[in-house]
Amino acid sequence: MFRKRLTLKILLFLILSDILETFIQFCFKKSTIPVTGVSVTNLADAFAFIKTVSVSPFLWLGICTVLVIFVIWSTILSKIDLSVAVPVASFSYILVPLCSIIFLKETISPLRWVGIFFILSGILLTSLSSKEKINES
Amino acid sequence: MNPNILLILGLVAISNTFDTARELFLKSAINGLDAESPRNIRSLIKFISELLRKRRVWLGFLCSILSLLFYLLVLSKADLNFAFSLDSMHYIFIAASAKLILKEKVGASRWFGTLFVVIGIILVTLS
Repeated sequence: MFRKRLTLKILLFLILSDILETFIQFCFKKSTIPVTGVSVTNLADAFAFIKTVSVSPFLWLGICTVLVIFVIWSTILSKIDLSVAVPVASFSYILVPLCSIIFLKETISPLRWVGIFFILSGILLTSLSSKEKINES
Repeated sequence: MNPNILLILGLVAISNTFDTARELFLKSAINGLDAESPRNIRSLIKFISELLRKRRVWLGFLCSILSLLFYLLVLSKADLNFAFSLDSMHYIFIAASAKLILKEKVGASRWFGTLFVVIGIILVTLS
């Protein structure tokens, strides 16, 4: 099995994909601010919710960025193994909370940071195990 | 526990179920293709047009839209950092469904990783 090296160019693409992922999450959150706390219990509520959210430019900016990130990610994966790409890409699990604190004025308790650390370690373990499979075959 | 948190957890679970269904649809659509992985622009176009003819790919798109709608509903009720951390729930669903539905081999360290994600989600929910 091929083992492709992580070059500086690919690393920059990976960091870009982290930043874009954070940007997507920020846009999606921004698009739901007009419907904060709205309760959706029937279909009419659901349509009203979709109507409000779908006129937000943030939603469409987020969706366009999803398409851009899809192209970048496909390019990255054609150059390096998934087990190398995912650990760098999961940096967004730190970046999104940081962005929440800075731009959305959210607060994060120490216990939540511990939880985030566990999730991150879990993702690292999961992605590294794909290397294991390659070595076996 | 705050009942709102349970509602948010449920909505994240629905959103992530659609995510997982999308991954399964796409993976099984790609597994069903006999084409080799694309090497140049021409074979890439052929690959994509063959994919777009599969009904499972369109079902996958539909799942993406439903997943996004439920995620937006979550975001309207919760902080971004909370929602985004919980969104890692799909790692659990995908490991389980790859094992149960696609019959893939899931190794020990992958289950270990999935367990860490579970612990992380529990801690984030409790915080």
